[in-house]
Amino acid sequence: MKDKSKFNSSMALLFRTHPEFGALVALVLIFVVFCFTATRFLSFESLAGILTVASELGIVAAGITFLMITGEFDLSVGSTFGVSAMTLAITANAGIPLGIGFFLALAAAFFIGLVNGIITVKYKIPSFITTLGTMMLWRGILLAITGGFAVRYWGTSSFLRGLNGHFLGEFRTSTIWFFVVIFVVNTILSKTPYGNSTYATGGNKEAARVLGISVDKVKITNFVICAMLAGLAGCIQFARFNSVDPLRGTGMELEAIAAVVVGGTLMSGGYGNLIGTLFGVLLMGMVRSGLIMSGAPAYWYQAFIGIILILAVVTNTKLKRWALK
Amino acid sequence: MKKDDFLIKMKGISKRFGTVQSLKDVDFTVGHQEVVGLVGDNGAGKSTLIKILTGVHVPDKGEFYFEGKKECIDSPKKARDMGIETVYQHLALIDLMSIARNFFLGREPVKKFAKVIDFLDSKKIDKVAKEALKEIGINIRSVDEEVSLLSGGERQAIAIGRAIYFGAKLLVLDEPTAALSIKESQKVLDYVTDARKRGLSVVFITHNIYHVYSIADRFTILEHGEKVGDFNKDEVSAEDIIKIVRDGKARV
Repeated sequence: MKDKSKFNSSMALLFRTHPEFGALVALVLIFVVFCFTATRFLSFESLAGILTVASELGIVAAGITFLMITGEFDLSVGSTFGVSAMTLAITANAGIPLGIGFFLALAAAFFIGLVNGIITVKYKIPSFITTLGTMMLWRGILLAITGGFAVRYWGTSSFLRGLNGHFLGEFRTSTIWFFVVIFVVNTILSKTPYGNSTYATGGNKEAARVLGISVDKVKITNFVICAMLAGLAGCIQFARFNSVDPLRGTGMELEAIAAVVVGGTLMSGGYGNLIGTLFGVLLMGMVRSGLIMSGAPAYWYQAFIGIILILAVVTNTKLKRWALK
Repeated sequence: MKKDDFLIKMKGISKRFGTVQSLKDVDFTVGHQEVVGLVGDNGAGKSTLIKILTGVHVPDKGEFYFEGKKECIDSPKKARDMGIETVYQHLALIDLMSIARNFFLGREPVKKFAKVIDFLDSKKIDKVAKEALKEIGINIRSVDEEVSLLSGGERQAIAIGRAIYFGAKLLVLDEPTAALSIKESQKVLDYVTDARKRGLSVVFITHNIYHVYSIADRFTILEHGEKVGDFNKDEVSAEDIIKIVRDGKARV
């Protein structure tokens, strides 16, 4: 610390206490670039488009952030997303009120999260493996039950409009839910004793255990929260399309994890926050819209995200190492 | 039941892990305001005994008395609630969290929001952590700093300060000076002496007999899961203890 100038050491403190800093810089940079290259990038329609995509992904990513800070991982969120959306679609078509269908969809997600958590904690296996398994399991069940066909709901309801309807022109209510989720989860993490326990569990499981924190309970709870947020996102997307196919949510887990990691959350746990994830998903939404508006074929999206992901993690790692010197 | 002279009394403690008999019928006591050095070579059973004392492991057999009352400690939380505070060499603090948050981890002061939800009382956390550490002579630049920036000695100091603040009756130190410089080791030993003056009892586990000899009142020596014996400081020299640890029970 001594040989660093005052400016340097206050910058170091900024990086240490704000994992999201790198993502914010990247977000601003990419925004500026697209302002020049993409026509009509600076318009309400464009912003609404970005937010619509970012919100659904963001609710899933919020759950992943929570779980990753706990030191665990969930690859099955895409399948959970699909299972919940399908549950809502099937119950709606069966004439069950949407409110009850929504409850059942979340209950399904709750169950998936509980299974993930219990298997991981009880058998002490990496959650990467547990959730890789359950990801395939639930996707397979989804395909088997539907025979591979999409399910469409023809009715309309105020319930679905509330989940993901329009307001102020092109904007969608999913954006409101997204910000509510970000706010609530961030408050839990940064302002409550439970958040403290979560960071401690992810930071050093054994230390947390000897300090009297029931790390197993914390882990299982956060698996459940992560799955339920994925389920919520699934219902919200169903409300936008009024239909769901059995492959819905495929690949979403990786996109969500990418957004979380770009946002500065450490894969090893114990460090990160929701603001970073917010920047991460906005970045991805922006790249998606921006590339199309710049006239690039949509295929380039994945390639771009790949580069951004690696750049972001390299930068974040370097910054963190420097800040801790 | 009559009031016991011991703060901690463990009788006939046995613990087996699979085929390994880690502890065999061990008696262990700690008096009030007493510093006990728990010594023995690797694999002697020191850590197992400590983990039983602090609720991490539950013994297969044996009795446990705390202030003369029979107790069953089945979780670290219960041990902590009773006033048994442990400072592990590598597990004292969470690296990526701030000093203040580490200080209150597991026992955070809260403010009720809307009478239902517990919110961290951040102001109190920062203020109390700073004052409590200062009070026992630990000066920290800022309690918002991450623990990973601290030296090994500073970490031990914070963990000891935390124990004192929360009114621990027994402080268990697991190799507190193992990775420290000579200067820092001395500081930690001073904190231990200070803790005893404040009325705490201490169990001190170490390989460095000279460190523990300077502060302990009594030594309990373990070998292969069995107790070699208890030795008061005036009966033995540091060299004697080293000899007993090295040569085993035969030479006693």
